[in-house]
Amino acid sequence: MSLNKKVFIGLLSLLISSFSLSEELLLKNAKIHTATDRGTIDKADVLIRDGVIVRIGKNIVSSRAVVEDLSGKVISPGLIAPQTQLGIVEIELIPETRDDRSDIYSAGLSIDSAFNPSSTLIPYNLTGGVTLSLTSPSSSGLFSGLTSAFSLSGSLEASLIHSNIALSANISGGEDSMAAKIQLLADSLTLSSYFELNKCSEMYHNKSSLPQGVNYSCRDLFALKNVVDKKIPLVVRANRASAILTLIDFAKTNNINLIINGAEEGWRVSRQLAEAEIPVILQPIDNIPNSFNELGSRLDNAYLLHKSGVKILIGSHETHNAYLSRQGAGIAVSYGLPWKEALKGLTKNIAEVFKIDKRGSIQPGYIADIVVWTGDPLEVTSFVEQVYLSGESVSTKNRSMRLKERYISQ
Amino acid sequence: MKKLIFIVFIGTFSFLTLSSKETTAFESTYIPGDSGDILIQNARILTGTGNEILRGSILISSNKIKAIGETLDKPASTQIIDANGKWVTPGIIDIHSHMGVYPAPGLRSSSDGNESTSPVTAHVWAEHSVWTQDPQMPLALKGGITTFHVLPGSANLIGGRGVTLKNIWARTVQGMKFPGAPYTLKMACGENPKRVYGGRNSEPSTRMGNVAGYRKAWIRAQSYRNKLAEYESKSEEAKELEYAPTRDLELETLVGVLNGEILIQNHCYRGEEMAVMLDIAKEFNYKVTTFHHAIEAYKVADILAENGVCAAMWADWWGFKHEAFDMVWENAAIVDQANGGNGCAIIHSDSSVGIQRLNQEAAKAMAAGNRAGLDIPLSRAIQWITLNPAKALGIAGKVGSLEVGKMADVVIWDGNPFSVYTKTEKVFVDGVLLYDKDNPLTPKATDFELGIISSEGDRL
Repeated sequence: MSLNKKVFIGLLSLLISSFSLSEELLLKNAKIHTATDRGTIDKADVLIRDGVIVRIGKNIVSSRAVVEDLSGKVISPGLIAPQTQLGIVEIELIPETRDDRSDIYSAGLSIDSAFNPSSTLIPYNLTGGVTLSLTSPSSSGLFSGLTSAFSLSGSLEASLIHSNIALSANISGGEDSMAAKIQLLADSLTLSSYFELNKCSEMYHNKSSLPQGVNYSCRDLFALKNVVDKKIPLVVRANRASAILTLIDFAKTNNINLIINGAEEGWRVSRQLAEAEIPVILQPIDNIPNSFNELGSRLDNAYLLHKSGVKILIGSHETHNAYLSRQGAGIAVSYGLPWKEALKGLTKNIAEVFKIDKRGSIQPGYIADIVVWTGDPLEVTSFVEQVYLSGESVSTKNRSMRLKERYISQ
Repeated sequence: MKKLIFIVFIGTFSFLTLSSKETTAFESTYIPGDSGDILIQNARILTGTGNEILRGSILISSNKIKAIGETLDKPASTQIIDANGKWVTPGIIDIHSHMGVYPAPGLRSSSDGNESTSPVTAHVWAEHSVWTQDPQMPLALKGGITTFHVLPGSANLIGGRGVTLKNIWARTVQGMKFPGAPYTLKMACGENPKRVYGGRNSEPSTRMGNVAGYRKAWIRAQSYRNKLAEYESKSEEAKELEYAPTRDLELETLVGVLNGEILIQNHCYRGEEMAVMLDIAKEFNYKVTTFHHAIEAYKVADILAENGVCAAMWADWWGFKHEAFDMVWENAAIVDQANGGNGCAIIHSDSSVGIQRLNQEAAKAMAAGNRAGLDIPLSRAIQWITLNPAKALGIAGKVGSLEVGKMADVVIWDGNPFSVYTKTEKVFVDGVLLYDKDNPLTPKATDFELGIISSEGDRL
């Protein structure tokens, strides 16, 4: 083979590979809800290169982009579900379809290896507009375990986006006093602060600082140490105003990053939450005083918290219908939360608080997880028309739709 | 002789007890307050009859709807409400609620909805469990709910009588009871009874065990009815010579179903099971009024329509158990459109969260149907939460639509009720304004809520 020929083939393959590396997609004429401070841009375009948003603006032209005309359509960032069991629960009442609980591990339970990208809940919620799930175990002890972020792509190889990014805890429920749980929380963190991976087994046998019956494995201690080292936040489920104040103090004293999940009485301590810069995960649709710990539950909680400067993350109690966080967001809007803050609560704020890089809003440099809607994403009569994951158009079919198609024409 | 007198005495006594039960015991004591005369003007009205008036008026007088139309004369001394830009619907009816029997806060001490000690408990009545001070009730009122039907839970094959209540504050359950509403009977198919009793290693532990259980109960009911009829057919002299059959609370209720006086409200998820339940109804010659939680109603929508059975459904709940796995968003629309639009679709809540926004749940189900090409107008979809549940509860002659002579259960919305952003502004029950967004003293707080967070204030 002559040198020229070699050079030619080399150039050709370079050309081909660079061509395939830089695929472009141009979404045109959409109403773009950016979930950034740019807010909503009417009739504008988004240029995506290799799965990453490169430009947003009017009249973008690209000679090599695949063009999708989205006139009359609405786009938003893919919704992020902040607290679900997506991928680790199939049918709630059937224990053998659940991988969300453990009696063996507590803080150290990482559910990554059990995550099932083929769960029917995944395409279903993708069709509802969710592109990313923060999936958490739901063991009932003090610690539920570790949260990981998964794409709802359904990919068997590449669904995991970020592993073990938060630790979940509960301080209410059960027989023990809430005070005992706070004490155990403190003692557990203290013990783990001495944790060193290579000396773990030594540590494990020297747990005299913990009450009888409390056992931690090295994995549990490692997870707790990551909270102590501020590598990951601690997400604590709490609703009662006084419990939230206790936790704010606790986070200050122990110098950890805290997120409150639930916060149904958050409005009563919104100033303190704002001052401590502690974000909250809300399920705004739930205003039921289900227990004596949430007697102050109300529909304008999200609005009141936001008004005081608390960062709001919006979720749903229901894993199967995790996408209905958007209905909760709509209800929060009807009770005063500004619309653009509600959208941020479903997207950008979640990505920021959980440090999920380059997701949750439509802006240059961000991964193109984008949902095309028939109308307002918060409105109950709107539907998802198309979903792009990293700029790739993905199927928006699900099992439920197959059933509908079978029976609707009968 | 002495014995005969004694028997006559007892006989008369039991006859009296029977008749007094039928006329007064447990009867509604609800009497609405004075509504005065109210004219709601310039509203966009979904009447619940299937019509829509783009700009119309409703006249309320003496707790009833006195007139409805595009323009109405204003009688003297009538209070006028200008509803320009607002929407008006009939009061919303939830056919599946456990408010009062599973109140908030959810404590064991007041969780009184499931007598799960025996698979057939037709003798229990949900109304005898109702805590009238459940704080979920005023929240539902703010969501436009003016009537709700409280059922026993679904642990049992036959769970007991349900009761229809007006959503008003009262000290007694009799004070909330919907006057003249028929009793209902809760039955449950599928997983729940077989899980509860199978888990105790007793019958039923299978679906076939469930079905045998219903049939055995109806056989006993038939036999009891025959015994009652036989006694009744005797001459007065013959009656004096023997005891009347001993009252049996359980079988009285079942006989009430066989006689068509008590309406079956049947929790049933799967299509196959609905079809089996209809055959049991055929075998014992009674009617199933409604299948509740009918996740798979779309699979048998034509069969339901042929049999004149309603399906009460959620818009999108699913997956919490196996029999709830085959949910489709179009369920209600498919049921509605079965047999040329002759289906009876109902959106229900079974939830203190959902009951506050049945309008949004209906909106989701309607939008899904329309997206699938079924043409469901707003005026039709509103019937899923008004007239259809009223029919299935046997109260459609009194509520469920805005028609002259009906109870003035009326909701004024600040916009299109089929939107997530829309809220109620005013809710009238029998013409009495029980919720007014401009009056912070409404809805009236329950006893539970007084001083519960701060001693000076109410809960919210």
